[in-house]
This record gives sequence, structure tokens and C-alpha cells, in this order.
Amino acid sequence: MLRKKGLKTHDKHIKKLAAIVGPKEILFHKEELISYESDGFTIHSHMPKAVVFPTNTEEVAEVVKYCSDNDLPFLARGAGTGLSGGAIPLNGEVIISLVKMKRLLSVDLENRRAVVEPGYVNLKLTNSISDKGYYYAPDPSSQYCCTIGGNVAENAGGAHCLKYGVTTNHILGLEVVTPTGKIMEIGHDGIPDAPGYDLLGILTGSEGTLGIVTKITVRILKNPEEKQTVLAYFDDVADGSQAVSDIVSAGIVPAALEMMDKIAIEGVESAAFPVGHPKDIEALLLIEVDGISAGINEQINEILDVCKKRNVRSVKVAQDDEERAKWWANRKTGFGAMGTISPDYLVQDGVIPRSTLPEVLKRIGEISKESGLRIANIFHAGDGNLHPLILFDSRIPGQTDKALEAGSACLQACADAGGSITGEHGVGIEKREEMRFVFSDKEIEAQTDIREVFNPHYLLNAGKLFPSPGRCAEVKKELKAAE
Amino acid sequence: MIISDLISDLTSMLPDSHVEEKSSPNQFFGNDGDIIISPKTENDIAAVLHYANENNKKMNIAGNGTKRGFGGTENKADILLSLSDYKGIIEHTVGDMTITVKPGTPFQELQDYLSTHNQKISLDPSHPEEATIGGVIAANDSGPKRLGYGSARDHVIGLRMAYPNGEIIRSGGKVVKNVAGYDMNKLFVGSMGTLGVVTEIVLKLRPLPKYESLMLLTFEKESKEEIRSFAVQFLDSMMEPVSMELLNPELAEKLTGQKVLTLAIAFEDVESSVHYQEEFVKNMKSGASQMTILAQQEAKEFWKRFNYLFPNGQREQNGLAAEAVVKVGVKNLDVIQILKESDWLEDAHNVSVHAHGGLGHGLCQVHLQGAQDDIIKAIDSLRKTVKQLNGYAVIKHLPLALRQVIDVWGGKPSYFFLLEGIKTKIDPKKTLNPKRYVGGL
Ligand SMILES: Cc1cc2nc3c(=O)[nH]c(=O)nc-3n(C[C@H](O)[C@H](O)[C@H](O)COP(=O)(O)OP(=O)(O)OC[C@H]3O[C@@H](n4cnc5c(N)ncnc54)[C@H](O)[C@@H]3O)c2cc1C
Ligand SMILES: Cc1cc2nc3c(=O)[nH]c(=O)nc-3n(C[C@H](O)[C@H](O)[C@H](O)COP(=O)(O)OP(=O)(O)OC[C@H]3O[C@@H](n4cnc5c(N)ncnc54)[C@H](O)[C@@H]3O)c2cc1C
Repeated sequence: MLRKKGLKTHDKHIKKLAAIVGPKEILFHKEELISYESDGFTIHSHMPKAVVFPTNTEEVAEVVKYCSDNDLPFLARGAGTGLSGGAIPLNGEVIISLVKMKRLLSVDLENRRAVVEPGYVNLKLTNSISDKGYYYAPDPSSQYCCTIGGNVAENAGGAHCLKYGVTTNHILGLEVVTPTGKIMEIGHDGIPDAPGYDLLGILTGSEGTLGIVTKITVRILKNPEEKQTVLAYFDDVADGSQAVSDIVSAGIVPAALEMMDKIAIEGVESAAFPVGHPKDIEALLLIEVDGISAGINEQINEILDVCKKRNVRSVKVAQDDEERAKWWANRKTGFGAMGTISPDYLVQDGVIPRSTLPEVLKRIGEISKESGLRIANIFHAGDGNLHPLILFDSRIPGQTDKALEAGSACLQACADAGGSITGEHGVGIEKREEMRFVFSDKEIEAQTDIREVFNPHYLLNAGKLFPSPGRCAEVKKELKAAE
Repeated sequence: MIISDLISDLTSMLPDSHVEEKSSPNQFFGNDGDIIISPKTENDIAAVLHYANENNKKMNIAGNGTKRGFGGTENKADILLSLSDYKGIIEHTVGDMTITVKPGTPFQELQDYLSTHNQKISLDPSHPEEATIGGVIAANDSGPKRLGYGSARDHVIGLRMAYPNGEIIRSGGKVVKNVAGYDMNKLFVGSMGTLGVVTEIVLKLRPLPKYESLMLLTFEKESKEEIRSFAVQFLDSMMEPVSMELLNPELAEKLTGQKVLTLAIAFEDVESSVHYQEEFVKNMKSGASQMTILAQQEAKEFWKRFNYLFPNGQREQNGLAAEAVVKVGVKNLDVIQILKESDWLEDAHNVSVHAHGGLGHGLCQVHLQGAQDDIIKAIDSLRKTVKQLNGYAVIKHLPLALRQVIDVWGGKPSYFFLLEGIKTKIDPKKTLNPKRYVGGL
């Protein structure tokens, strides 16, 4: 990241920004900026004006204030693993990278909270408190590298969110630099229910469009006393989905309840962490139950019964931590594994009411046929969060567009089933137009109204999250603004 | 416009809804209206809002009015919109564990219905028979099982809101995980009817626990240090209590007949797990002088009584006596200090104090009874302590006359301009629940 060239420039903005963060903490030469053109949504890219690396909140506020006063578009960036293009500098933004604000500021076990800087990597938090028996619950598959600031922005989820909730359920306080450069503390000392509208709630998941998070107070949890993990193979996807419903109906709240279909299994088995899943099965379920040791066996037995009733081919319980870890590594690297069976893949992220799983899977199968592209399915079945992975080859002219179309069709199928277009990856650039599948123009306007309160000059991360103006609501608004 | 004109306007506009003049608006708690409208359809709700907004009428919103003593410095507005006739279950998808309801449905009615499917809303608000689900959501309530259950904001997955201009805005949806757009549900939950009227609520459900129990540990008065070290040790264990509520002696007396500092620890799980956890507590050095276990029905009855301990906006006092309920938020273990402070208030200000607070989340409720002057002084002292602990104190229940002399919200936060900006965007004419919220919003 260190700049190889000197700070020779005639650009007064660059000079000023360099003066704020220090001459070593800014990149602005074209070749240095290339890796900041895009994020995990690689289909799209755009050059930023510069990248700055502030090391404390005051510097962030100063950079923001400078940008705001000088009409320079800007945005925040964590690890750049976002899958919907939230950190792509569409308007040639000044990128404020938070990766140098990566300290764990404090851990208070008695009050079960920790305070971190936004660039702190998710998994590091759990690693640094696990010796005392504690962990941080939200566990996106990218947790070994994504930042907690990015998690807050995306309201990230993970496999274990079924029982423990997503990021928003674990955020107790935030320090935020507003888009005009004011430093705000919300949720003082992490005390819940601060009087007033729930700004923590609205900021979490706002995809970096309402403010830049510079400090985060999170809830930490005690490890469960015991954990058991079950792996079940099905010859029929419908049986697998029915088993998911049956487990939940039996009054069990598993910590995680994941499903993979045949193509996904082909992928993970040819990648770095194969488990030896049979290649001819149609679906597998990975089910984890945790809690008080005395109650676990009862639940495991019930799960085994359910699977048998639903014609499971075979089902087993992990014998030790090592086996469990193997199964999870296989699952958590599932997206990347698609790279071994296809030159390119597009990850989608729809959500459906659990009971509609069989019909939506059928529809996704049809979309695959119609587009001629293979679609693998990896999903958080317990909460109905599907990740159709559309396999394509960008070298073949037209395939990228076809993949995007197929992705959009999958989201339409989710919306038609009463679901949503994204469960954890966010709207970003990717799903802006699909917002119309679930919201009316007025409902979108109700949201952009809130954006205007926080982000009045619209210099922070513009062009994300909402469909581009062109339809009545936003056009009306633009006219109003022009008056 | 005179009241009779307003009534005839609205009656002709809303043939299906009940419109009536209020002969004597509630002087004691305020937040009332010259006329009361009880709509039966969403269309009517939207029409009333649109009408009030266009004609510069002010409007208060009530579920069943149990929180009438919460916030607000005005005796009445032009219109009181009551949701108590707008009730019922719209859709319950058993397999998806979600339910869609109308806001006027009493909380307990929902729980009773859901229990026939072995499901529940994971919340335990007080006055559940009177409180409407809309009111619970609008006030972001939580009860003594907050530690295990979370609060209203954790369970709402979708809303329909009637905005002040009469437009219906949907937020969230019917799925349990959803990040499409801003999380507008969060903005509306807890907004106390100042941004719009909740007309439909989608909640996620949990299975009914297979077994539950409650352990009551009593401590002699001086042993607060002992409680602290027990709490630290217990919270550091892998046990999973849904509640760890500390009750001051006066409150404990009402519930158990014993006037002694009491810690209520609740477990909900399969039976074997609950007993295992009880044993774990028994084997710890708690310093408790007594330990009682209430199982199943007995535990349920205890919580039922607990949920009716505190006054609500349907009960008035006579003369100069007053009651206040203060919600205090501090860090988990500082709850012990707040309860200590409550004892002290009793002596210093000649008020009677019933208080409880949750170890594990840090929220306390302090109920004060006494002469009006003493109540005000006691609240001031309590606020001083809370401030030292970096916490906040919001007065959730107080007669109107006192609300006009004391800021029940405890001042404006530094980010007030954002709260004000949100209110102004959505309700520019300040039609809804005027002056009821933080900073007079
Ligand atoms: C292999 C892989 C697996 C994944 N698995 C999951 C998963 O299981 N669950 C899941 O939810 N996601 C998953 N993701 C998506 C991604 O990791 C998450 O969205 C993550 O939260 C992004 O964090 P980041 O630090 O990379 O943020 P970035 O990508 O850098 O930024 C994401 C957005 O957040 C904003 N932002 C970043 N930091 C801040 C800040 N401090 N203040 C304000 N805004 C900020 C940016 O402007 C941008 O809009 C996965 C991604 C990959 C590549
Ligand atoms: C002093 C006191 C302490 C309490 N403490 C607790 C507690 O600690 N935990 C707990 O869980 N419960 C508590 N409750 C009780 C419970 O929270 C309330 O009874 C319930 O939340 C409100 O129900 P309601 O229908 O009576 O609401 P109301 O009093 O009618 O309304 C409450 C608020 O919500 C608004 N509102 C009502 N319906 C709507 C709607 N459809 N749309 C928009 N706004 C609406 C009202 O304008 C008002 O601001 C307490 C009650 C009191 C009086």
C-alpha cells in the first residue's frame, strides 16, 4: 500500500488531503489506484480520485469536512469484500480506507461488550477473546478478512445468524462521522435503548450512505456449553427442504441450518476443503445445535428422526471438533469453490419465506435452463436466505450479461414468492433496479428522504442502493430541489 | 373550526368508523383529543391522517392508552385516533413462523392464539391484556426477560405505516432476514407514534419453550458486593438464563411476601437443560440466604403478577399524591448501584420506591410514589446518579402536570439535529403526537 512514487502533484485537493492524513497515507497515481476500482462485485469498476488512510477519527472527520466543503464525492471502504459494489467509486470518489484504524480498543467481559475500530477484522475479535470463552456472533463466510465497519454498513449475516441474529442485533453503540464532518456518538457506552429514534438501527445496513463509522461497541457472547453438528444427505431436494421445515416446526432453533445442492457439492468437493460428500446426492443439510449440554442430545435425536422420516440417504453427527471444522471449512469456502468448476460466477442473495423453498428452487432450475447457465445453490436454509451461484464464462461474448439477467430473474422469483432481493450482501450497485421488485416509488422516496437528512449534499457514496432517477418520484424530487 | 363541524366532516368522510366527541378529555394524563375516532380499516386511518394534515389539525394516537402517562406536555389535540377497534390477525404462516397482525390487537390475545400452535412472540411487555401490539411496537417495549428475548426491535420484520399525509409506506417484508434498502422498521419501532400510524405488523415467532422455571435467591440487605461477585461469576458461566432481574426489597415483598433483596433467575429450555442449570446455580457460592424454585405454572404466575405491578395510564391518583415510573439505562452491573440508590431515595425524599433491574442488559424500572414535590426531588437525585454512571433516565409514566415541569426524556442528545431532521421530513406540519417525544418533537 505504500506509495512508490513521490508526492508530486499539482492537484490542490490531493495536496490538502495529504496534509490531513500525512504524505504516506494517500494514493493518487493511476497505477496505485487500480486495486481500488472495484470490490467483491468485480463485474463493475471505476477509478477513484485518491485513496486516503486516516489513522484516527479526527482525521476522518477532517477529510470528510474537506470533501464536503469542496464538493468532492467520497466514500468509505473496509476490506473491499462487499459483493454488491458498495465500495466502487462510481463518481470518482476520494476513498476513505479504514484499514489503518484496526485496533481492538477495549474488552469488558463483565459487561459483555468490546469496542473496536472499523477496520478491525471480524474473526480477530473472536480469536482475541476465545481463550476466555467468549465470541462475537455474526460470522460472515468472509470473516477472516472483512472488517467490522463493513459488516455494520452491510448488516452482515452468517451461518449462525439463524439463532443469534445478524449484525444489527449485536451493535450497542457507534461513533459516526456524518457526511458533513461532525463526530457523533450514538448509544453511549453501549447502553441499550438510548432515547430517540433508533439511529443505530437505521445506520446499520445503510451501506455506507449515511455516515462513516469510526468506532463500534459490540455485544460479545459466552461460548455455548456444547455444540453438535449433523450432516445429512438427500436424494431429493424436496425431501431436504421439507426436513428443514420439520426441524423448525418441531420447536428446535438450530444455531445453523445450511443447505447445498448437487452443483454446489461438485464445486466444494473439487476445491481446497473436500469432505468426501457423495457426488450423486441431490442435496445436503449441515445442521448445528448448540446450548446447554443436558438438552442437546434430545434435540439431535429429534433432528435425526426428522431426517429419517424425510427419506435421508445417510446422516451422521460430527465425532469431534476436527470433523466439525472440516465440514464448516467446506461450507464457508463454498463461493470461492465455484472458481474450480467455472471460470466466473455471480453470487446472488435472495430471501424467501421458508415454506416456498421447493417452488422457488424449481423456478431457479427453470431460469438455469432458459439461460443455458449452470446455477449452484448454497443457502442459509433456516432463514430462507438463498445464494444462487450463476456459473458463466466472461470470455464468451454476451455471457456476462446473460448471467446478470439470470441473477435478476432469480431475485424476481424470490420477490414473487413474498421474499426479498437481498438477505445480507446489500443492494449496492448490483441490485439498484431490483429494488423496484419489492418497493414502490413512494417507498423508495421515503428512504431517500432519510438519506437527505443525513447526507444532504449527497457527496457520500452517491448512486448506490436506490434505482437511478428516471421515474416519477425522484424526478419530482430533483425538480423540487432545482426550484 | 368548532368541534361539531369537525365531527360532521369526519363522520361523512368515514361512514364505517366511530367518531365521537370526548365529553371530558383526560386532564390527569393528557395526550387526549377533543374528539375520538376509532377506525376499522386502513383506508379510514389514512383518510383521517390526510384530513388532519391538510386542515392543520393536531392528532394524538392511542392503542389502549396504557402509556398515556408517557411523554407529551399537552392536555389534548384536536383528534385522538384510537386503534382499539382495528384489530385481528391477518395471516399466520405456521411453517414460516411469522404472523401479520393489526395494531389494535391486545398482546395477550396474540400470545393465547399462538400458544395453540406452540409458538409465541418472544416479548413480555407489562399489562399484556390491555397493551396493544401497536403500542408495544411504537414504544419499543421489553420486559423482565429482555436478556433472553431482546426487545420489540428484534422481532419486527415488516410494517405498514400510514404517513401523516395519508400515504401507506411498507418497510421490511415477510422474511426473517432482509437488507433491501434502509432498515426503516428500526426507525418506526420506538418512534412513539410521532412519524406515522402503524397499520400492520409482521413479527417473527419463536417456539414455546418446552419447560420453564424461576429461581428466587434472597440476599440480606448489606450484601450487594456478594450479589455483584455472584452475578459476575454466573454471567461468566455458560448457563443461559432468560432473565436475571434484581428486585429491591419493597418490590420483592409484593411478589413473594418477603421484604428482602431478591434475584430472580429464569430458565426456558427442554426440561433436562433447565434442571441442569438450576443445579449449577445451587452449586455456586451465591451468598444467598434462601433459594426457592418455581416451576412451570408457578413461574408463569409469578411473571404474570410481575407484569401488572406498575401503574398504567388508565389509573389516576387523587390530590397531591403522584406516581412515576422511570426507565433507567446503565451498564449491566451498575444495576446494583441503581437499586442501592433507590433505597436511599426512599429515606431521603419520603417516597416509596419499587425497583428492579436486569443484570446482563442494564435496564431498570423505578416506580416512585409520594407527594408530587417529593417525586420531583427524588427523580432529580436519581438522575444525578445515573449521569455519573453515563446512563440515561426516561420517565415512562407521570401525570401531565408534572410532565409540564420536568423533561421526561432528560434533554437532547448531541445528534438531536438528526432526530429533528427525520421528524421534519416525515411530519413537516407536526400533525402527529405533538410534543410527545425527545426534545419536544
Ligand atoms: C467469499 C465471500 C463470502 C462472503 N460471505 C458473506 C456472508 O456469509 N455473509 C455476509 O453478510 N456477507 C458476506 N460476504 C460479503 C462481505 O464480506 C460483507 O458484506 C462484509 O460486511 C463487507 O465488509 P468489508 O470490510 O469488506 O467492506 P467493503 O466491501 O469495503 O465495504 C462494503 C460497504 O460498506 C461501506 N463501508 C465500509 N466500511 C465502512 C465504515 N467504516 N463506515 C461506513 N461505511 C463503510 C462501504 O462504503 C461499502 O458500501 C462475503 C464476501 C465474500 C467475498
Ligand atoms: C409506567 C409503565 C411502565 C411500563 N413498563 C413496561 C416495561 O418495562 N416493559 C414492557 O414491556 N411494558 C411496559 N409497559 C406496558 C406496555 O409497554 C404498554 O402497555 C404498551 O407498550 C402500550 O400499549 P397501549 O396499546 O396501551 O399503548 P398506548 O399507550 O395507547 O400507546 C403507546 C404509544 O404508542 C403510540 N401508538 C399506539 N399505537 C400506535 C400505532 N398503531 N401506530 C403508531 N403509534 C402508536 C401512542 O401514540 C403512544 O405514543 C409499561 C407501561 C407503563 C404505563
